[in-house]
Amino acid sequence: MQYTTDIRVIRIMCTGRMDPAVMADAFVHGLDGLLVLGCLFGECHYVSGNFNARHKINMTKEMLAYAGMNPGRLSFRNLSSAESELFVKHVTDFSAEIRELGPLGGEADRVPLPKLREKLEIARTALAGPKLRWVVGKKPVFIDTGNKYQEVFTEHEINRTLGGIVVDEMATHSILAALQNKPASVKELAKELEIPAPETLKYVLGLKRRGFLEMESVKDHTPLYKYVEQEG
Amino acid sequence: MEKEELRIGVFVCKCGSNIAGSLDVEGLAEYASTLPNVVYAPWNLYTCADAGLEEIKKGIKEHNLNRVVVASCSPRTHEPLFRSVCGEAGMNPYFFEMVNIRDQCSWVHQDKAQAESSMDKARDLIRMGAAKAALLEPQEIITSEVEVRALVIGGGIAGLTAAISLGNRGFPVILLEKEKELGGMLRSLYRLAPMDLDASEVINAKIKEAEDNPNIEIYTGATIEKVEGFIGKFDITFSANGTSKYVRLGVVIIATGAGNLVPEGMYQYDGDKVITQWELEERFKAGKVDANNVVIIQCVGARSPERRYCSRICCAIGIKNAILIKERNPEAKVHILYRDLMMYGVENEDQLRKAKELGVRFVKYDPERPPVVEENKVTVFHHLMGKELEIPQEMVVLSTPLVGTEDGVKIGNLFRAGLDQNKFFLEAHVKLRPLDCGTDGIFICGSAHYPKDVRESIMQALGAVSRASIPLSQGEVKIEPIVTTLVNKDACRGCGLCVALCPYNALEIRDTDEGRKVNIITVACKGCGVCAATCYRHALSINSFTDYQMEAQIHSFMAA
Ligand SMILES: Cc1cc2nc3c(=O)[nH]c(=O)nc-3n(C[C@H](O)[C@H](O)[C@H](O)COP(=O)(O)OP(=O)(O)OC[C@H]3O[C@@H](n4cnc5c(N)ncnc54)[C@H](O)[C@@H]3O)c2cc1C
Ligand code: SF4
Ligand code: SF4
Repeated sequence: MQYTTDIRVIRIMCTGRMDPAVMADAFVHGLDGLLVLGCLFGECHYVSGNFNARHKINMTKEMLAYAGMNPGRLSFRNLSSAESELFVKHVTDFSAEIRELGPLGGEADRVPLPKLREKLEIARTALAGPKLRWVVGKKPVFIDTGNKYQEVFTEHEINRTLGGIVVDEMATHSILAALQNKPASVKELAKELEIPAPETLKYVLGLKRRGFLEMESVKDHTPLYKYVEQEG
Repeated sequence: MEKEELRIGVFVCKCGSNIAGSLDVEGLAEYASTLPNVVYAPWNLYTCADAGLEEIKKGIKEHNLNRVVVASCSPRTHEPLFRSVCGEAGMNPYFFEMVNIRDQCSWVHQDKAQAESSMDKARDLIRMGAAKAALLEPQEIITSEVEVRALVIGGGIAGLTAAISLGNRGFPVILLEKEKELGGMLRSLYRLAPMDLDASEVINAKIKEAEDNPNIEIYTGATIEKVEGFIGKFDITFSANGTSKYVRLGVVIIATGAGNLVPEGMYQYDGDKVITQWELEERFKAGKVDANNVVIIQCVGARSPERRYCSRICCAIGIKNAILIKERNPEAKVHILYRDLMMYGVENEDQLRKAKELGVRFVKYDPERPPVVEENKVTVFHHLMGKELEIPQEMVVLSTPLVGTEDGVKIGNLFRAGLDQNKFFLEAHVKLRPLDCGTDGIFICGSAHYPKDVRESIMQALGAVSRASIPLSQGEVKIEPIVTTLVNKDACRGCGLCVALCPYNALEIRDTDEGRKVNIITVACKGCGVCAATCYRHALSINSFTDYQMEAQIHSFMAA
């Protein structure tokens, strides 16, 4: 058994350990590709860890793609511990795929560096935040037994919800990041972040209601918003 | 807390020529010595040999090391050894980190063209290991008391054997049988292959031995109602003959056996002229076998799309009963139509030879062209002769597989012991832990695990007893502290998100003075990390696999 020297192995107990924020952090730090290798579905050494991993990895891919990274850079593949040849195939394939994509922030990614890095950092913050984690954590439960009103959801329905939250989270965290830099008006934010102004206004008002923003001053009849430091 | 100065020692192993054959180990050691916080970085010929282990101990003492990294082979085989050596030298064993430059470098990158990139990779792996080591935290081995009492579920030959053996070792045993009588399948069988024993005699002797054993409490007509707890402290509620009982015990042996496939709709099965081996055994017992032209068909409902597995013991059963018919009436014509013969072991082979000597005919059939059963005859395509064969018959006997049962599924759910798609109990690892269930403290034996003959069931029962005796005789279990910890109690909202996802029921929500908080049942936790990766408040963390440690590995890789 021989294979490429392209990969570096990090040991985890189970793919269930893969935290969306940790995966995003790897790309923030410039990793070109992250391959998560785990047990075959139905044969997880930790019963169901790989199913949980799949939900989290899919969500992370969606978020990072939305931030401008080529989602092919993050991949989840499966094998049993007895399948050395399959291991070689997975790492060989993945290394070839990443070589094809080239370094992070190049042509294969929608957003170039250094802008991509900023966006990935925002994505990381969102993936560490409560909203996405809550929904992805509830996903297996909702698909299995339903919510407290006994409404069972299809995977497709939850993915749609998650997709919506990805968009909202990226927008709100971008707004927060921008306002942490300096106060700005809705119009300025909309221009800088390339979010339509009416949407931006909606997010800004939402954040203000939740106490993340407050009005700083009014300039030329337009309010300027600033970030409110959060406790804990 | 005062921050102590980090003093990392990196020991790079040559593994003879296993590593040194394609990596410049001395160069790697020299590189390691330049890494942040590394104060000592020797190389060893064999780090795991006595001399190498002594060097680790000496290094820890002489250089005041508080973190040790060994760059060598697989943690799967060597981590426990190195950890304990670090412990012996007075360092916390969990300040140890292992880097694999053999299985992940020297062995798999032997191409001369990879020489340089393999060295790069080895350097990276060592740097990443040292970066993680710097963030390791001390851990203590977890111990938990074991209630010295065992539960055996199922009173067949496997369960009885297990109960008797545990009883003889002096451990109190509770044996639960769901039927009114003990004995399982053997109560209904006639003779037992391959030793030609009387099945009733064998099982009755066992039942008596169990009943006479003062350490065994037997309950028949029993149903388990509730199971809580974990290894050492299982809390079981069961009912037997109308009364409900609660008991705490340390270990569980599952011996719930298997069922018999009833071949409805196959080969004209009617339970009268076309019967199963099971029904044939009943007729033998009642002395009601008088047919002289008998056709036995093997693999009925086994090794088929709906049941892919081989039931292993049906060939021996078919041949046993063919011999019995021939011995009763040497003039009888007995045909066995088979696909492959599974007569493993010397005694079984002797049986096969004996059957052939007695004149039992063997015809191999092709599952694509299965035999056809008709009134008074069976037609089968003879594989070797290449033509249809018509065999007259007065009785057809179908060899059907042992199948998993709904009882097994219920027990599996109660104990969170996994079953395979055929409803047989799954072992934790085929080779390394073949007698254990995935959940600690639960063991399996007999045909609940897979179709087995009596000897195999007995052997496996004795094996399961040896495994179960370890926690019982030690009186406590020791658990690797690679488990989840509530690192931020204030953050926890007691939402239960993690509780729902833990595959080992190791988490629960409790009311505390500070509100509802997660409580970790550390002995049950396997450290998979699902909970920590899920918690939306980042309240949980996995010892020795924290977010920070994983991130540090990646950061250090990128900082080349
Ligand atoms: C037709 C036939 C012929 C055979 N001939 C031979 C032979 O010649 N030689 C040979 O070596 N083997 C033979 N076998 C195989 C033999 O029967 C098995 O090896 C043996 O029965 C396995 O024992 P066991 O204790 O694992 O399971 P079982 O004998 O099936 O016993 C399991 C017991 O567990 C009980 N139980 C199930 N669920 C629960 C529950 N939830 N709670 C409490 N109790 C429960 C059942 O009631 C049963 O009493 C034959 C099998 C068949 C079907
Ligand atoms: S640890 Fe996290 S997921 Fe678990 S109950 Fe507390 S807040 Fe919820
Ligand atoms: S680490 Fe895994 S086994 Fe342990 S409590 Fe968390 S989810 Fe359960």
